[in-house]
Amino acid sequence: MIGLIARRLLQLPLIILAIYTITFALAWSLPGSAVINDEGRKPPEEVLKAMERQYNLDNAPRFFTQYLYNATGVRWAAVRMGVDPGPPPAAVFDFGPSLRHVDQTVNAIVASSLPVSVVLGLASILIALLIGMGAGVLGALRPNSWLDLSTLTLALVGISLPSFVIGTLLLIIFPVWLGIGTVASWGRPQDIILPALTLSLPFAAYIARLTRMGMLDVLGADYIRTARAKGVPERAVILRHALKNAFLPVLSYLGPACAYAMTGSFVVEKVFNVPGLGQHFVNGVKNKDLFLIMGVTLIYSFMLILFNLVVDVLYRWVDPRIEHD
Amino acid sequence: MGKILAIFGVLLAILVGAVAVDRPPPRAALVLVDDADFITMDPGRMAYMQDLRLAHAIYEQLLNWDLTTSEARVIPGLARRWEVSPDGRVYTFHLEPRARWSNGDPVTAEDFIYAWQRPLMPETAADYSGMFMAIRGGEAFFNFRTQQLASYAGRPASERTPEAAAALRAEADRRFRETVGLRAPDAHTLEVTLERPLPYFLDFAAFGSWSPVHRPTVERFVSVDPGTGRLIQDHTWTKPGTVVTNGPYVLADYRFRRDARLEANPFYWNPGKVRSKSVAIIIIEDQNTGVLAVKTGAAHMHLDVTADYIREMLAQTRRGERDDFWAFPTFGTYFWSFNCMPRLVDGRENPFHNAGVRRAFAMATDRTAIVENVRGAGEKPFNVLVPPGYLPGFRSPAGLPFDPDRARAELERAGWKRVRPGEPPVNSRGEPFPVVEMLFSTASYHKDIALALSNMWERHLGIRTELRGRETKIYRENLKKRDYMVARGGWFGDYADPTTFLDLHRSTDGNNDRGYSNPAYDALLDRAAAEADPARRMEILAEAERLTMDEELPVLPLWQYGWYYLFRPPERDGRPNPGGLRGVALHPRVMQYYWTIEVVP
Repeated sequence: MIGLIARRLLQLPLIILAIYTITFALAWSLPGSAVINDEGRKPPEEVLKAMERQYNLDNAPRFFTQYLYNATGVRWAAVRMGVDPGPPPAAVFDFGPSLRHVDQTVNAIVASSLPVSVVLGLASILIALLIGMGAGVLGALRPNSWLDLSTLTLALVGISLPSFVIGTLLLIIFPVWLGIGTVASWGRPQDIILPALTLSLPFAAYIARLTRMGMLDVLGADYIRTARAKGVPERAVILRHALKNAFLPVLSYLGPACAYAMTGSFVVEKVFNVPGLGQHFVNGVKNKDLFLIMGVTLIYSFMLILFNLVVDVLYRWVDPRIEHD
Repeated sequence: MGKILAIFGVLLAILVGAVAVDRPPPRAALVLVDDADFITMDPGRMAYMQDLRLAHAIYEQLLNWDLTTSEARVIPGLARRWEVSPDGRVYTFHLEPRARWSNGDPVTAEDFIYAWQRPLMPETAADYSGMFMAIRGGEAFFNFRTQQLASYAGRPASERTPEAAAALRAEADRRFRETVGLRAPDAHTLEVTLERPLPYFLDFAAFGSWSPVHRPTVERFVSVDPGTGRLIQDHTWTKPGTVVTNGPYVLADYRFRRDARLEANPFYWNPGKVRSKSVAIIIIEDQNTGVLAVKTGAAHMHLDVTADYIREMLAQTRRGERDDFWAFPTFGTYFWSFNCMPRLVDGRENPFHNAGVRRAFAMATDRTAIVENVRGAGEKPFNVLVPPGYLPGFRSPAGLPFDPDRARAELERAGWKRVRPGEPPVNSRGEPFPVVEMLFSTASYHKDIALALSNMWERHLGIRTELRGRETKIYRENLKKRDYMVARGGWFGDYADPTTFLDLHRSTDGNNDRGYSNPAYDALLDRAAAEADPARRMEILAEAERLTMDEELPVLPLWQYGWYYLFRPPERDGRPNPGGLRGVALHPRVMQYYWTIEVVP
């Protein structure tokens, strides 16, 4: 286990560097100026030039290295140790200013939006697990029954309907028609239910199918037959013996799903006006806000790698027979 | 099973913990929805509508606009009276002596002088720094500071010390005091000398970017960068809890991409005029969600409805099925630009360099049909650039009518002969009229307009077109590079004078995306600038617009932009309507003074 963690942590900087480099190349080649706001009035030419110089926007290699220097905490360490005479950065990992929302730093943007995304993502994963595993188990117990077919159909709908359709439908049905729940509000528990439900449906659908398949496999296995032959009650067979093994594919899916749910919910954030991180990916690119693009990408990739590692560790914990190479 | 439950349990615990720490504040007396978050809360740097509205709520400017009329007019703000010198160059404002900052400090004329120096420092990167160059010596100071910084950056590293940088700033400050036309004879008198007479200067004095700032607060967050000599402004000074303001409201809370909360300023000198004691501005980017928020009562008003179904909302309003949708004309124009350069960027000859061709395209355009059948948002079709009605004393020209026969004749005079109907016309060398590339940004309704124009030009002139929809950034860049033949455009007036539109066609103007250059036109604008008599000046400017709208057509104006609010009316069937709003302005400048608005109890 220690070896696994150590190996993954050693790989981490290399993967991050590769992602950083590719993202930088793509973001830098976006057309348009990063310092001209689309609908604002244009400041004098000298001002624009000075801004580009200040942020290294006139020099790709310098931007590339300076950003890494600031974002990885090297500047912070260098200033602390007296190697760099410059003023200390505002944070250990300094992701720079937002070029579009000029009063904001990327650190402040992430600090305010990441917790929101984590809450929404966690809630949706929990709902997805409840719905998905419930539906999967029910379906597997009576394969090809009407119950199984209807959960499979629901799963198909969950995967194929885009979230803006589901989200808008839920908004119109619950707050507008029935007067239940809220529109465009965030912070109270009741605000979280509708967006989390919308976000959870594709995950739930996937988990339902994984669980159903896993259960069907396991229920035909010898040890289940043995357990039944020994007279173990059916409830215990399902919950104690079958579900544990059927859960393993779900668990390995949870890593990327968690990372995706916590950062990739742009559409759900927009429909329910959730102040999360997902919007900044899209808006960052739309505005060519280089610092924001690089900052959120770095943080997202870090999270993704970390979640995968956590899942792998959990996997071994749940089922110690599994070997990792 | 236990282990699986444990995983569930940990996830649930994190969730409950996170929800517990995020508590929303109590509901404000007035809840507004805007679809765009603030770009900056530093008034000197502001240029966006949402920012400027905030500037008027938390800062008080010298004057206010009279939002109760649809004509340009100013009323007293922080300045209770003012005088203008006979030559129109010196404005003396007498400030309200009771005015206080939100920490109790008195508001003085010095606060304005300090605030107005900031946009004139190039490192502030203020979008509207050009406006401040109206002050005598302002532009020279801006250039001086640019030079000063450039020469500092050229010094050897050993001479770029914190002391040298501080001395540099002191020199700039001294220079500003000595050369720029701002003076405070006493704490409550501000004397502004202009570079040249500006009949609309009072409109500037009412503009949000011209707010005073609280010097001690700003200065706490200013540092001088020894490497470049530039002032570094830490934006923390604009944050709630730190910022000190002088307006009817203070900024009590602001959460990026969520909401801002304003509370009545306890030190405001005229608290009687503040109708709602607290205001929340919720940022809802999605139009549907914003409209639903007002519909369900989560908010009282939407400040900028641009939903795709404006047409349906208007129809419902006309049929009397709803009374919460408000449409009104603004001081803005939707147009399409013609590239006026002799050649296109790829070196081809540009047919639109010829004003006759531009006139032909304009007269082949049935703007009424476009506005009514395609756009369908109840806006007013027109064929001039400066929206009529808002500027007293300014007469709009006739503009070119929709007349396909005249359009074909005009095209023929410009050297493009029709061979047979439905075929592109040809020039004297027998070459067909090139396929017209129509550039527009893919967001919003512009594609529909492009299709309608394309159809009309094909039908009436036999012209072939090609639609080029681009992402906003790419569209902007193509526009700046003049890499287009015709392109979608639009403009909102910044201040109450025709020049806020007419300057677009000046050959040297930074926003002249058309590359239009006409010495006669530039000369007219120069003459108007030098004209002391306001009436005579308006006549010259009217002539300038006539030249561009009746003859030269660098742009093809289509309609006067409309604006749309969503809020319940204050009265229904002659009785007060609880939940409705009183005191909302339907003003062409789209400004809202939040302190005038109150919810009907």
